[in-house]
Amino acid sequence: MSAKRSTQMTRPQRQRGLARRQAALLRLSTEIASAHDEAEVYQSVVNGLHDEALGYNFLGIFLLDEETGDRVLQASIGWPDIQDDWRVHPGEGLSERAIKDGKLHYTPDVRRESQYLPSLASGSEVDVPLRIDDRTIGVLVVESSEPNAFGADDFEILTAAANQASIAIGRARLLAEERQRADEHKALLDTISDLSSELELSRVLQAVLERAVTLLNVTGGEVAIFEEEKGELQVVASQNIGKDSTGTRLKLGEGAMGAVAVTHEPLIIPSYHEWLGRSTKYADVTVHSVMAAPLLIGRRLVGAIATVHSDPERVFGPEDLRLLNLFAPQAAIAVENARLYTEAQRQKQYFEDLVLNSPVAIVTLDLQHRIVSCNPGFEQLFGYEREDVIGEELDPLITTEATRKEAVAYTVEARDRPVRGMGRRRRKDGTPVDVEILAVPVIVDGERVSILALYHDITELLEARREAEAANSAKSHFLASMSHELRTPLNAIIGYSEMLQEEVQDLGHLELTDDLEKIRTAGRHLLSLINDILDLSKIEAGKMELHLESFDVRAMIEDVTTTARPLVEKNRNQLQVRTDPELGSMYSDLTKVRQMLLNLLSNASKFTEGGTIELTVERTSESNGPTMMSFSVSDTGIGMTPEQMDKLFEAFSQAEASTTSKYGGTGLGLAITRHFCEMMGGDVHVESGPGQGSTFTIELPVTAAKRTGATS
Amino acid sequence: MAKILLVEDNEMNRDMLSRRLTRKGHEVTIAVDGQQGIDMARDGAYDLILMDMSLPEVDGWEATRQLRADAKTENVPIIALTAHAMAGDREKALEAGCDDYDTKPIELDRLLAKMAALLEDES
Repeated sequence: MSAKRSTQMTRPQRQRGLARRQAALLRLSTEIASAHDEAEVYQSVVNGLHDEALGYNFLGIFLLDEETGDRVLQASIGWPDIQDDWRVHPGEGLSERAIKDGKLHYTPDVRRESQYLPSLASGSEVDVPLRIDDRTIGVLVVESSEPNAFGADDFEILTAAANQASIAIGRARLLAEERQRADEHKALLDTISDLSSELELSRVLQAVLERAVTLLNVTGGEVAIFEEEKGELQVVASQNIGKDSTGTRLKLGEGAMGAVAVTHEPLIIPSYHEWLGRSTKYADVTVHSVMAAPLLIGRRLVGAIATVHSDPERVFGPEDLRLLNLFAPQAAIAVENARLYTEAQRQKQYFEDLVLNSPVAIVTLDLQHRIVSCNPGFEQLFGYEREDVIGEELDPLITTEATRKEAVAYTVEARDRPVRGMGRRRRKDGTPVDVEILAVPVIVDGERVSILALYHDITELLEARREAEAANSAKSHFLASMSHELRTPLNAIIGYSEMLQEEVQDLGHLELTDDLEKIRTAGRHLLSLINDILDLSKIEAGKMELHLESFDVRAMIEDVTTTARPLVEKNRNQLQVRTDPELGSMYSDLTKVRQMLLNLLSNASKFTEGGTIELTVERTSESNGPTMMSFSVSDTGIGMTPEQMDKLFEAFSQAEASTTSKYGGTGLGLAITRHFCEMMGGDVHVESGPGQGSTFTIELPVTAAKRTGATS
Repeated sequence: MAKILLVEDNEMNRDMLSRRLTRKGHEVTIAVDGQQGIDMARDGAYDLILMDMSLPEVDGWEATRQLRADAKTENVPIIALTAHAMAGDREKALEAGCDDYDTKPIELDRLLAKMAALLEDES
């Protein structure tokens, strides 16, 4: 455009060589227009005007330094002793006039001017201002060694050149500004991509800080992360603030970073040492001014950043704030990513340590059942080296022909759902190992990716269990045979004492009857103890069986009360029996029902004196359950505390050891009763309080289902 | 007054029970094992047999089965005597052909009642 305009500026030919001058001006315009930056503009102006066809031999371009008022030389021709950057101070040189009024000044004879600064060409001088947007930014100075060397044509050419230069300078400055912004954006982009690729938190924070210091061209700074659970900031990176502040903790509101963490707004502190909000933790820093900003993701605080100048000459301005506002969100994201990554790493590390140190064998399989990874626990349990098994199918390695099918079935099932089980596997050396197995599918984003299998060595556990079972069985067998062996002589004792009682009655030796009765009673007691022990050992050994038969309940109750009455009346107790009119029949184990009722009546009699013992029998029928027969034995005796009731149905646990000596009994009756009830699908329970008597209730299904006697 | 065969290997039990039954007016004959019990039951005419179940060689169940299989003895009432309710003893005894069952130690009145019931049926 400029080049075209200059061609349009064709004037009538008044002078020879005009065409050449036009061509030179065209070249000048083109040169100026194609300059890339300010320096090139200056250089092309002086070079172009120096063209042979124009013939300006002494010239220079000055820019005005607005702060000092100096004119600073940018480019020149014909002034060999003068450097660029030469400063012409206010009050010196003729060109000041053009600067001041923004107009072209011609001095036909410089030697008459007092302000003139002598040069090689001390004849005449033209000074043309350089103006952008009505503002004078500099001056073009053209000299000649001859006085009166310039005319209107020259003024026209030089004015045109100055205008073009001014336009080019303005454009170059815009361009430079754009370039600077482009650089900033590039720096930010670098920051983002670098920081995103760096995930170790401490390094990210250090990098964030370094970027900020470079970008803002500050002395130093710090970065803190916000610890939400503590509500505090912790300084995690520190650079060049006069001390290493890493590790410093700041409460919300404390210091510059604490302040921005509360306000969520950036803050500039021009003179830090005079600032009232400064933290005592920063009393010794060499900081002059501070600019701080919160690191936010949305409205959520993740940290804070502070940058400092320690040079009192440097101040933070709107441009710095603008840059920091661009930078802070990127830094916040980088910090947050790194924090999340660190957290994930920590968890990963935790699980890796768990797998590594677990005594349980842990192995990961692909969907073809090939081993992807295994832990030291696996190597130890099965005796394989890790390198030998990776990529191999698992099941053939740890099974025998006999267990292969079962093992594969587990693995196949584990592709879809968690599987648990126990089984026998084999080690590398062929020895068997009993294991508890847990296998689960690993599902990521709804897709099965692998199978995780855990093997826990339970050889010792099973061995211990087998031993315990064998010991238990031996104990039961011992008890059963001992009971049997004990009973034979006991039968003789009881039998002979009864026989003797009959004989002494026949023979009239009544004084012996009491002693014989004591022998007989003691013998009967010992027998019932042995019988109870035998019952319990049979129950524990799972050998107690039910012998189910139909019987009339009323007849059974009459039989039981007849047997129990002497026992009840021994302690001056009264026995009351209350029954439903229609009791009907039961299909159950008659012997055991009798035994249980006699046990309850016997207990009630023992612990009650001069009271009432009541047997209540009811046929109950729940809508959803089987028809039950309920037998309750209530007494008005000593009763029990809740603690005593807790242990009531356990073997060998009369309320206190002392009760055994006072009241007799084996302490096994209720334990047996409970087991019998369970075997018959029923239940026994008690209600009592100290001094309030006790009520024991047995509930049995009218029709018992045959069940095994094994109880735990 | 009845003729009773008591099959019992334990000497004291034998002595005790035979003496008590004798005192109650019964005529008691004794066999000391299963085989002897079978042989004596076939040879003599007894009103009732008291059979201990745990006998050496031929046990009480086997002896009962053989007696039931023999026309001469198939109708003689047999009461099984066993130790305290060993699992299934009662069923096994009734299955083998016993008419009733009682446990040791003997409660004489109870046993006499059971004997009386069977002897009454018999007559």
